[in-house]
Amino acid sequence: MKVITPSGEKIDLLTVNIGPSHPATHGALRAFVALDGETVAAAAQEIGYLHRGFEKMVEQGTYQQVLPYTDRLNYCSAILNNIGFCLAAEQMFEIEVPERCQTLRVLLSELSRLIDHLVCVAAAAVDLGALTNYWYLFNPREEVYGIWEKLSGARLTNTFSRIGGLYRDTYEGFETDVANVLVSIEAGLDDAFKLLEHNRIFIERTRGVCPMTPDAAVAWGWTGPCLRATGVDRDLRKDDPYLGYDTYDFQTVVGTTGDTYDRLLVRMYEMKESLSICRQALKRLRPGRVNTSDPRLILPGHDKAYHDMEALINHFKLVFEGVRPPAGEFYSGTEAANGELGFFVVSDGTGKPWKIKVRPPCFTQFAAYADLIEGGMVADSIACLSSINIIAGELDR
Amino acid sequence: MIEFDLPFILQCAKFLLAFVPLCFIPILIWGERRGASLIQDRLGPNRANIPLLGGLRLFGLVQNAPDGIKLFTKESFIPKHAHKFWYIVAPMIPLCIAFLTPSVIPWFAPMAVEGAKGIANVSGQILDADAGVLVLFALSGLSVYGVVLGAWASNSKYALMGGMRASAMMISYEVSMGLSVAGIFLIVGSFSLTNIVEWQAAHVWGIVAQPLGFVMFLTSLFAETGRAPFDVAEGDSEIVAGYFLEYSAIRFGLYYMGEYAHIAIASALVSTVFLGGYHMPWLGTEVIRANLGLVGGGLLAAIALLCIWIAYASNRWSNIYAKMNATDAAQRKLEYRVMTGLFSGLAVLLLVAGSALALFVHPQQVSVGGTEIWPLWVNLGTAAIQLGIVVAKTLFICWVFIWVRWTLPRFRYDQVMGLGWKILLNIALVNLLVTAVVAKLVKG
Repeated sequence: MKVITPSGEKIDLLTVNIGPSHPATHGALRAFVALDGETVAAAAQEIGYLHRGFEKMVEQGTYQQVLPYTDRLNYCSAILNNIGFCLAAEQMFEIEVPERCQTLRVLLSELSRLIDHLVCVAAAAVDLGALTNYWYLFNPREEVYGIWEKLSGARLTNTFSRIGGLYRDTYEGFETDVANVLVSIEAGLDDAFKLLEHNRIFIERTRGVCPMTPDAAVAWGWTGPCLRATGVDRDLRKDDPYLGYDTYDFQTVVGTTGDTYDRLLVRMYEMKESLSICRQALKRLRPGRVNTSDPRLILPGHDKAYHDMEALINHFKLVFEGVRPPAGEFYSGTEAANGELGFFVVSDGTGKPWKIKVRPPCFTQFAAYADLIEGGMVADSIACLSSINIIAGELDR
Repeated sequence: MIEFDLPFILQCAKFLLAFVPLCFIPILIWGERRGASLIQDRLGPNRANIPLLGGLRLFGLVQNAPDGIKLFTKESFIPKHAHKFWYIVAPMIPLCIAFLTPSVIPWFAPMAVEGAKGIANVSGQILDADAGVLVLFALSGLSVYGVVLGAWASNSKYALMGGMRASAMMISYEVSMGLSVAGIFLIVGSFSLTNIVEWQAAHVWGIVAQPLGFVMFLTSLFAETGRAPFDVAEGDSEIVAGYFLEYSAIRFGLYYMGEYAHIAIASALVSTVFLGGYHMPWLGTEVIRANLGLVGGGLLAAIALLCIWIAYASNRWSNIYAKMNATDAAQRKLEYRVMTGLFSGLAVLLLVAGSALALFVHPQQVSVGGTEIWPLWVNLGTAAIQLGIVVAKTLFICWVFIWVRWTLPRFRYDQVMGLGWKILLNIALVNLLVTAVVAKLVKG
């Protein structure tokens, strides 16, 4: 097919759609590429195949009703989104959740980060043809889903966090389950490390492939593991601590060249850090309340609602009108698995959000995708796509 | 008029050996699945069973039957944009070639039999050509036509890319493949695979004589068969499925079976050229013939031991299922009971047959026109044992193919070419040169 270059030259190129229905575009993404042999001469990406109107939908309900929608953003780590939104809402009310809730949130966040990274690395390995890693990484992930199921009743869309606390306290034997799952994640991760880290083919396929410079990454607005892979040491858990992350002992993992190898390895080493945070959180877990006692956020118990007029009114108002934050504009960013997950909330003082804008970490990463893959080979573009870990639910909202 | 004397009948009977690689296909498909599940820490095929035989699953081997039925009965769709004639013809090529290529592989040692015109020598290969292994290389090089034609006829961009990759790769690796075994040809001084095996029996196995050649030959064969880590022509995550993207049902099945047949032949070739073929240390052809009863009995006893182990494992499983609270526990228990019975019965039978062989079979040479030759039944028995040896070695190499596939990631297309032309070819040339010099010095 004749293609006109920006300089006006007509050249013969093969135009191919990679996606939206392609084995490597996990989710529905599309990259339109012009190939010169096997080399990607030009590329353009398209988003929106999974657009469900998250931001418009959440304006229809109360603040509590936003939570189930956040599950569907990055569905690989739903709890991280729940907690991210809850933190944004709690910031509006200027409240702190109890100690146990904070520790549990850290624990659940890190477990979610672990399973998210497991998905990313496993899928990347599959895209590189190293299929076996998939099972080594997905088997422990399955055990985490077992915990989710016991904890919240749901496997994928947990909606476990609540504004001002959690859906409920943990079940009996939760600590043992978590301790066991940490062991099996570590074992699976070690297996994957052995298969990949010094594997000559893996290194050749990923090192120097689709690199990103620190300046360009910052200019694109990259965050999270992909930004850290370029060598920029930015992690909201360290730089803008929330949930008491500053009291945990962990390192941010930073790469050097920002290529596919670094992006994947940063994720793999981050999993080791997350394992350590989980173990620290497990040690800190003390019995106690998981919900704040703030009546603006938490329903009064049955004993009060049935016998106390004010409590009954409170119950009624909370259910029918929702929690009512003060009017104003609020932004809260948390370090989700893919990077900074931001919620910008505009409140008009009623029980329904006037506007919620989500800042998904994938969005900026996918924006740079065409630039990353131009000049590489077809196989590189696939390796690159899986290493920047695009989750369509979060990208398109 | 054709005389139907013994050598001629044997010559005709040898054509049945063309089906040996075909028999490998179901075993390899099963081995791939079980091997993958073993490596990947999962169960593998465990549903398909024979309901009339107590739900017998035979470790997943039964899965092949429904797979075959599915592939045959599915609609074999031809896309509108495809070139109809070549689209239909192309998938047949690899499987046809899989019938032809084993013709030069010796499955057993040459035997002397008495014919109408005196003693005739019947070799262990179907086609006893002087060109020998060159025939095999030439034929297996043709199988790329099936891939390229299919890719082109599909008229699909991904398929075309797969076809381009396949053709470029196969052509490049033919070169290093040929050069890496050239060392063996130099040492042996013949292209005939029977001669190569006889030389290995008399001296050392090819893997000892040419270790570098073995590694390079195996690597080239991985590329030649389009197996991981060289499966860029399929590249399922990059170009979707590559050259057979538009194929469905049994036309896809033909490619699929062709690939496995290709692996079987490649493994047979490796075991013939580098692992001594039908020769085993201390079990030369004459030794087997002279002690046919003992060797055959020992072999049967070894198989019986395997059966006893399977029966033991089945019995253990049936006990486990007896205690288990699974929904199909009763059926599974019954299945493993049947397996236990089946395999212990087989073991007893084999042991009895083996002891009978060892005790009562003492072959004697007979004199035909002044020449001592072995009677036909001894020769045939030896041939069967040697066929078993070749098959065992081939299975081992096949397992290496499976093992590598589930361990390594895929190369990138340009890296495959780089490895072929810049590394393998150079090493093969140096290896050939050194071998030539050494061979000259040693042989004079």
